Amino acid sequence: MIVHRATIFFLTICAALLLLQQNASAHGGVVEEDDLCVIKVNYLSAHFKIYQPEISGHKQYCEDLPVAAESLFVMEYQHNSLSMMPIDFRIIRDVTGKGRFARMEDIELIDDIEAVTVFYRPAALEPAVYTVMHEFEEEGDFVGIVSATHPDTGKVYAAVFPFEVGFTGFGYWPFIVALLVFIQFQFLLMSGRLKRWFGGAATASLLGVLLFPLGASAADLQVSWTIPDGEPQINRIQSWVLHIETAAGDAVEGATVEVTGGMPEHNHGLPTRPRISEEIGGGDYRLSGMRFHMAGYWEIKVTVTTDNDRSVVIIPLQL
Amino acid sequence: MTPVRRYALNGAAVVVALATFWLWLPKSPPAWTAAEVAVLQSMSLSALPDLPPDPSNAVADNPAAAAFGRLLFHDPRLSADGTVACVTCHVPELRFTDGLQKGQAIGTSKRNTPSIVGAAYSPWLYWDGRRDSQWAQALSPLEDPDEHGSSRQEIVAIVLGDDGYRSLYESLFGNEHTDINRAFSNLGKAIAAFERTVLPSVSRFDDYVAAVVSGDAEQQSIYSDDEVWGLRLFSGEANCIQCHNGPLLTNNEFHNTGVINFSGEVPDKGRLDGVLMAFADEFNCRSHYSDDALRRCDELEYARTGLELLGTVRTPSLRNLGGTAPFMHKGQLATLRDVLVHYNDAPDAMIGHNESKPLGLSKRELRQLEAFLHTLDAPPR
Repeated sequence: MIVHRATIFFLTICAALLLLQQNASAHGGVVEEDDLCVIKVNYLSAHFKIYQPEISGHKQYCEDLPVAAESLFVMEYQHNSLSMMPIDFRIIRDVTGKGRFARMEDIELIDDIEAVTVFYRPAALEPAVYTVMHEFEEEGDFVGIVSATHPDTGKVYAAVFPFEVGFTGFGYWPFIVALLVFIQFQFLLMSGRLKRWFGGAATASLLGVLLFPLGASAADLQVSWTIPDGEPQINRIQSWVLHIETAAGDAVEGATVEVTGGMPEHNHGLPTRPRISEEIGGGDYRLSGMRFHMAGYWEIKVTVTTDNDRSVVIIPLQL
Repeated sequence: MTPVRRYALNGAAVVVALATFWLWLPKSPPAWTAAEVAVLQSMSLSALPDLPPDPSNAVADNPAAAAFGRLLFHDPRLSADGTVACVTCHVPELRFTDGLQKGQAIGTSKRNTPSIVGAAYSPWLYWDGRRDSQWAQALSPLEDPDEHGSSRQEIVAIVLGDDGYRSLYESLFGNEHTDINRAFSNLGKAIAAFERTVLPSVSRFDDYVAAVVSGDAEQQSIYSDDEVWGLRLFSGEANCIQCHNGPLLTNNEFHNTGVINFSGEVPDKGRLDGVLMAFADEFNCRSHYSDDALRRCDELEYARTGLELLGTVRTPSLRNLGGTAPFMHKGQLATLRDVLVHYNDAPDAMIGHNESKPLGLSKRELRQLEAFLHTLDAPPR
């Protein structure tokens, strides 16, 4: 009976804390996801990192910073739409009294935000990645506020992340972290585990569909290639001629041909964006803008789309 | 312990110590295989093709234009205060760089001064590739407030106001100079004609490769064992050759290698912005000022854009290492050793992704690589 009551008590706490946790992230903030630190500005997210290059070089911080020094905040967008939204960035001294749990609502209660602002960068458009630098003059508790304005609706999305500069100890955090880990474990055990397995399988099949689009098959068409001015060479832009025919040997005409490629071992693509510049006829297509910038193993992926079929042919190439 | 046992133990200790010492001793490198010799030849200056033509510049290979461009390159009158010439930052004795973190002219420029040696082989100019020809590049510093700080009107007026320059100009471009942009671009083309003649010369490395190819054992001794090991690392385990390839030891492409930001500055977005600037440049290959009626602009036409380019900068040639320190796009790393240590660590990039991987090389191997790199250096022709 006592055990039973303890369990109920524990689960209540768990539920309350979970609610709190979800609440916090739903309003935008910084959370750890896998190894990455992610800032959520409403439904938009970005990888978030802070550096103190002069103190600790390339070492990344997610929230708390060890010393008051020049600090570089980096947000790499995971949603392209952030590139189109003016973003402003403000750091205030934490006067909310809420510490780790400060939220937008608490910020809105501050009478004179300018008076507690230690850094402000007005709204600016920054494609792909947002970088901003601030030199902290003193240690203490701070709150960062990132606001992004939707260009069409004018709606402002904000994220709030409380952090500490001059972070020396862990305080009560190990306790809370341990508790959260335990709660998460319980949560997974009770309901999420099966779901997670299922989710994994779903992800794999989704990946499969992405990698091998429906209707595509590698053997339908034959693609051969020649280079009018000789052999493939590194560091030189060249034109190729692709010849496309069916397995039966009939030339494929009027197809849409897309070409990508890269070095699978290096995990990078071609240095250019080649494309078909001309259909010569008789199944021949001029492929312009081919360039290689490294010796080694390359794969060129040719996607041929006709009215009733779509084929992907990989051309292996050792340079 | 009996004396016999003690002797045996001492003996064993000596054997272990000697074996360790032998293992530690530098070894002679093995002979090069045929495939390795082919790689060495691909890096040798003897594999350098003829200068790529620049159809957008009608006077690119005109010696009179090069002579005129040489005068302009050295003339400090082409600046806001009469003190800055191209040569101020591109000092011939320093392999056409300046030995500074960032160029110092009217103000401080934004990046480390790149060398001009062999630049005619690159389809893109500047660390971020924001210009697509040497003549378009040559125009930008003249109007950069931190560099020459002048304007096209002033520059053209100074040149055409000088009788000697005016006759040189008119002999090359005729007396059509009412179109200020046309006249300005012509000056860039003359400067580019001079810059095209700045080329690397044969280094000890090239002599060594020639000796390897001809099988001349005596001549091969111009390389120390450390230098040979360094070359092996460079073209093998250390992966340097992936980007520093070909006879100029560069692929002139754009890579992110996780170099730390310059103190007090946010990290450089590099080519991500540079390629868009090249598209927008009023003097690019597609512009009205190109001399190529056919506007053959494959490099612009098929240039890659997008996030993959975040934080990438152009691979520099390694034929000018003597005199070009400090290194990297903002001169962040003071010595060659610092650069090697950086690549050995391959830290995470602050923005974008570091394309290189940690190498795990020993201090001795880094020293050997450094010894090899110095053999690539030679003053330009």
